[in-house]
Amino acid sequence: MRKLLGTAFVFAVIFSSASMALCAQAIMFQPVVSIYTDGDGNGLLSPEDVACTATSVVVADTGNDRLVRYSLAGNEVKYVSQSKVSQLPSPIRVQIDSKGEILALSGKNRRIVRLGADGQFLANFEMKNVPQGDTVVPRSFKLDKKDNVYVLDIYGGRMVVLGPQGEFLRQVAFPKEFGSFADLAVDSGGTIFLVDSANSQIFSAGKDAKSFSPLTQSMKEQMGFPTYITMDNTGLLYVTDQNGGKIILLGQDGSFKGQKAGRGWVEGLLNYPVGICLNGSGYAFVADRNNNRVQIYR
Amino acid sequence: MRLRSDFILPPLALLLCLMMLSVAHAADNKFNLKDGAKGKNCLSCHDSFAGVMKKPFIHTPLKNWDCTGCHNPHAASHAKLLAAEVKDLCERCHAKIIPEKPASIHKPVAEGTCVKCHDPHAAANKFNLYKGGNALCFDCHKEMGSRIAAVKVKHSPVEKGCVSCHSPHASASGKTLLKENVPGLCLKCHDSSKMTFVKMHGGYQVATARCTSCHDPHGSNQKGLFYDKVHVPFGKGNCKQCHEEPTAGAPFKVKTDGYKLCVGCHNNMVNEALLKGRLHWPLLDRAGCLNCHTPHASNQKGLLKKPMVEVCGQCHADTVNWLKNVEHKHSPVKDGDCTACHSPHAADQVLLMNKPTSIEVCGSCHDWEHHSTHPIGPKYKDPRNKNLTVNCLSCHRSHGTPYDKMLHAPSQTEMCTNCHSKIGR
Repeated sequence: MRKLLGTAFVFAVIFSSASMALCAQAIMFQPVVSIYTDGDGNGLLSPEDVACTATSVVVADTGNDRLVRYSLAGNEVKYVSQSKVSQLPSPIRVQIDSKGEILALSGKNRRIVRLGADGQFLANFEMKNVPQGDTVVPRSFKLDKKDNVYVLDIYGGRMVVLGPQGEFLRQVAFPKEFGSFADLAVDSGGTIFLVDSANSQIFSAGKDAKSFSPLTQSMKEQMGFPTYITMDNTGLLYVTDQNGGKIILLGQDGSFKGQKAGRGWVEGLLNYPVGICLNGSGYAFVADRNNNRVQIYR
Repeated sequence: MRLRSDFILPPLALLLCLMMLSVAHAADNKFNLKDGAKGKNCLSCHDSFAGVMKKPFIHTPLKNWDCTGCHNPHAASHAKLLAAEVKDLCERCHAKIIPEKPASIHKPVAEGTCVKCHDPHAAANKFNLYKGGNALCFDCHKEMGSRIAAVKVKHSPVEKGCVSCHSPHASASGKTLLKENVPGLCLKCHDSSKMTFVKMHGGYQVATARCTSCHDPHGSNQKGLFYDKVHVPFGKGNCKQCHEEPTAGAPFKVKTDGYKLCVGCHNNMVNEALLKGRLHWPLLDRAGCLNCHTPHASNQKGLLKKPMVEVCGQCHADTVNWLKNVEHKHSPVKDGDCTACHSPHAADQVLLMNKPTSIEVCGSCHDWEHHSTHPIGPKYKDPRNKNLTVNCLSCHRSHGTPYDKMLHAPSQTEMCTNCHSKIGR
């Protein structure tokens, strides 16, 4: 019995390390399936972002002023429900926190709202004790593993970091020279990355940094108009080149690692993509805005 | 011994002088030409030069009949039997024309095309210039010439000549070939300490400000040489509407940042934009409206900082640069009129299109959809993507492409078979 248990343990260890290695691999960007509609067959319209976990997907269906929830099992995607709430017109960013609750940013009223895991509206996300808090204009936001909220405040020229309940933690000033920041990513060590659309440049700030500094030079040759950035669990940065219809891969040091997809209409290709989400189980979800769909890649 | 040296030294010195003269002569006469075989000899064939030599300003080598100063009489690797590239040839004598670390260089100088302005042989104008005064400059800077001729209020240094302010070859310190940067250059004539100067500037100390952010140095149709389009409060001298008092510690500081400063007067426009589904984000950043507009005066419509395509190109350089090399461009793109299709502040449509659908945007100039067109509109699904319907952009790229009719594909056949794949070979 002991021998049997020992063998089973060894197999389990080998299997789990193999599956972890598989998850840690970069996405190959092989198209798996695309999401076109809700459960009633109503098409997505200009979706700008997508949030994901191992088992669920939430699409910011921007043109339809709603969030659409799906469940995920392997390659199979099933419609769950939609959330169309008056507090969230034109959603442009969506995130799922560790409790499964949904936070989303409205492009129209520029407020972040919190919805339950079931998609019901809970509350506006209030920012507390933020210096000049009444002037914050959130262009984008992201969550870290502790559910802290990182808000890209373009009016204040800063990144504001807030606790899960909106309490002010710190702020990091934008660099002196930049073009137009569109999005951010946060790694597990607390380093923040900013993407500058106008200059096609990435900036970063370490956990305790007071301001951002360039991670890359201008990368106009590689990406025309980057608008979104995220990171996988190996530290590889994924940047969406909206005008080029591409996903650009960068190392943590900013080195160019390659590009995926390309401009087009058929599945696999992208047309003005915006948001990208990696679910840690080997899948990437891309909000393929001008193709009115979310594409899933492996 | 003393006698001997007195006897030997003078002939030795004479011999040395003769040797030096002969070396110098050999250097001058590198082609070992016979006496009288220099320039005048060239004229026996190049007889048109007899007329050239009558012009009032003759290039020094030619004046000295030294055609071989620039030309090789036998053979050369350069056009017109020149002994070297034009730039290198000119630089042999005119090396100091470009300062060591120039802040700006005139394009023909950088390209080494000195002969675009100077006649290498002789001319009717000083410095062998083809034309006198500003006329030569306006051969290339045509738009500037037309504007200067048309404006009501002239700037007197411009009438005296472009070289009053600009160095024709290169400038050691000034941008755009200015002899000195603004405001230093302006203050050489305009005394900022005079009471009239201070009064004209509302009491603000502008001696360190950039004069050309409000004044057109080439002339204007506005009093005070303001650019033609003047922001109303600025034109009325209401500087304090936006800035702190002139006596404040930081008098030029604006009362609040970004769009919040402008919304006081332009509230309808701002509120209308803020209610749209998609915003042009620079409107809400720290610079706000000033990302694109100038707050004082401009020669551009809508007080834009620069021509529209340059303003948009500040951020959308990828689009603007790509279009430079594209053969088939959309005509609004050629005209730099981005707002023909896009709303610059906000819109409800993606890409800030100014009408609900691309068919409507295109339809504001084209009427194909009303008489003869491929089926387009909400009834017709795009075979490539079930969530798209066929519209103008299914086949055409709105800015332009390298292909005829701005198609996405190199040929019409390839474009059609993109969807009609069954009939493709």
